[in-house]
Amino acid sequence: MNRKRKLQQLLKSLVQPLTAVLIGLLTGAVAISLVGASVLETYKVMWDGAFGNFYFVTATFARATPIILIGLGLAIAFRAGVFNMGAEGQMVLGAVSAALAALYVPGSGIIKILAALAAGFLAGGLWSLLAGWMETRFKVQLLISTLLLNYVAVLFAGYLVSHPFQDKSGSAALAQTPMIDQVAWLPKLFPGMSVHMGFVIAIVLAIILFIILRFTSAGYEVRMLGYNPFFAEYGGINKIKVLLYSMFFSGGIAGLAGTVEVLGSQYRYVEGSLTVPGYAWTGLMAALLANSNPLGTAVASILLAALQTGAMGMERNTEVPLEIASVIQGVLILFVTAKITMNWWKVKKKGRDIHGAA
Amino acid sequence: MELLDLSFFTSAIRMISPILLAALGGALCARVGIFNVGLEGLILAGAFSAIVGNYYSGSVLVAVLTGALGSVLVSLLFGLAAIRLKANPIVAGIAINFLVLGLTTFGLRAIFDVKGAFYDKNMEGLPKLDIPVIEGIPVVGKLLSGHSPLVYIAFLAAILLYIFFYRTVTGFRVLAVGKNEAAARSLGLKVTLLQYGAIVACGILCGLAGAQLSLGQVTMFTEGMTAGRGFIALVAMMLGQSHPIGIVGSSLLFGLMDALSIRLQGFSMPTQFTAMLPYIITIFAMFFLKDRGADSQLSGQQSSR
Repeated sequence: MNRKRKLQQLLKSLVQPLTAVLIGLLTGAVAISLVGASVLETYKVMWDGAFGNFYFVTATFARATPIILIGLGLAIAFRAGVFNMGAEGQMVLGAVSAALAALYVPGSGIIKILAALAAGFLAGGLWSLLAGWMETRFKVQLLISTLLLNYVAVLFAGYLVSHPFQDKSGSAALAQTPMIDQVAWLPKLFPGMSVHMGFVIAIVLAIILFIILRFTSAGYEVRMLGYNPFFAEYGGINKIKVLLYSMFFSGGIAGLAGTVEVLGSQYRYVEGSLTVPGYAWTGLMAALLANSNPLGTAVASILLAALQTGAMGMERNTEVPLEIASVIQGVLILFVTAKITMNWWKVKKKGRDIHGAA
Repeated sequence: MELLDLSFFTSAIRMISPILLAALGGALCARVGIFNVGLEGLILAGAFSAIVGNYYSGSVLVAVLTGALGSVLVSLLFGLAAIRLKANPIVAGIAINFLVLGLTTFGLRAIFDVKGAFYDKNMEGLPKLDIPVIEGIPVVGKLLSGHSPLVYIAFLAAILLYIFFYRTVTGFRVLAVGKNEAAARSLGLKVTLLQYGAIVACGILCGLAGAQLSLGQVTMFTEGMTAGRGFIALVAMMLGQSHPIGIVGSSLLFGLMDALSIRLQGFSMPTQFTAMLPYIITIFAMFFLKDRGADSQLSGQQSSR
């Protein structure tokens, strides 16, 4: 009986995202037929581009890696009821700190890697903590401050790699750090494929977070704060502490996303390499799509990454332009949120009613 | 080259008009309780449809109107999601940004069969208006005369919006919706109608901002040509506390900073710090301004409190 109810609940929670996916694909179909291509054939080429053979699957996983980590970080914040919009800045600061740590920390490969991971996590986490601190201490709205801090972080990282730490070895003065020593590279999972150790880190982290959020008291406190801050406080949860912790880990994991990109695929921090593909926004979408469930976030990230790699394959093989992926993605998110936030809203509204004229 | 000369200020004035227009649109939305993150997408939609209108009609006026229309259509979609479907406005706004970026690049390929940028030398840009009397005055004339009509419309829009908010009944109702939606509804105000009205007006303003971008300096459209201006407009709106005159001030500041970073590039100085300044100023301003105006309400449902 209980199991049946759980299954029903699961199906119910899947209906809305699936409807959104369907609307997204339908919009894509309209756009494809507008340019005069065959819809089914184009979608098949897209599928092949994302999952067609082993190489493409690994390429999809490689693209999904930073997206999963960003999504996981945001999922923590969302679960605690904070709208962290600063994943981009946290990721970029994490990436540039990791690159510098890997370059300048002396020692063997493993020490360099650990130092880089720690530096990336700390940089992202502290940057995010700054916004959390401003919210709890001075009531500066987190939603807005994180958005603003993104620009500061991205510009600062841009300054670092175009002035003091610029790679001077090449003939063209690109805004990037020198290349990291090969001993500090994260190993590739399969020779010749782009997917690297970072993907494993991301998946393991998703499982750990799932367990923490569901089965531990710390996870319970985070969830309670998100569901109903007033009840949480009434129940003796230190609201400020939980919020600050959530923000620290949220930003830290976003920093890790940048770190594994640096250590696993770029081997240096290149300006724009993390912001131009829009990893942060895609990760945000994945977390929303999965309603901040860590495992669901991982799956949604892989799907969104597949949409992007698939679209690249489609552009190689057909006349249909790549941007159809962002059209589908945009429509999908536009409709998936309708319900997610309806739930969220209800919860929030209840909280506000109790609070009166908040 | 001097650091600060007259052309520096003229270029600053030119640069602020898209930001000012979009920020005013965002302020309208904020005042009815909708935090519109989709400004970037709305401007881009305006810029693209203005070029399409220009290409097919050959008339600048039609181009500006189609620009506004394209942006309004997108903003209605935003309204549908945010008001009708009760989606989280922030998420809907982000989705709009992605959607428009995809649609315009897609349209570039589908309509003009080009990638990256579209340029046609037969297209006519916005005319430069020379204001009769002011033109003659030595310094002021150079500064204030000879801009595209949309630059003047931007400042005019700010004044009109101020009059609307604080001198008309409808404007007062709009403010009431932003202050407390439930209370406004209980008074019998047509909250939903006012919200749609604000969103459509925001679409028009963003469409004009886009038209200024694609038809103002150079007559062309490039992929993602807004380059974050929508977000800067959002910040200008926050710094200006959604108050029309405040927004003029913050847009002027951002325009100056923008022009300054471009100027500093000529001196091979790090431009990142000047580019950072508007954001840092805004963050500091938030320490002092947080309790005033509709700002404390505009993202109330997402606020962590």
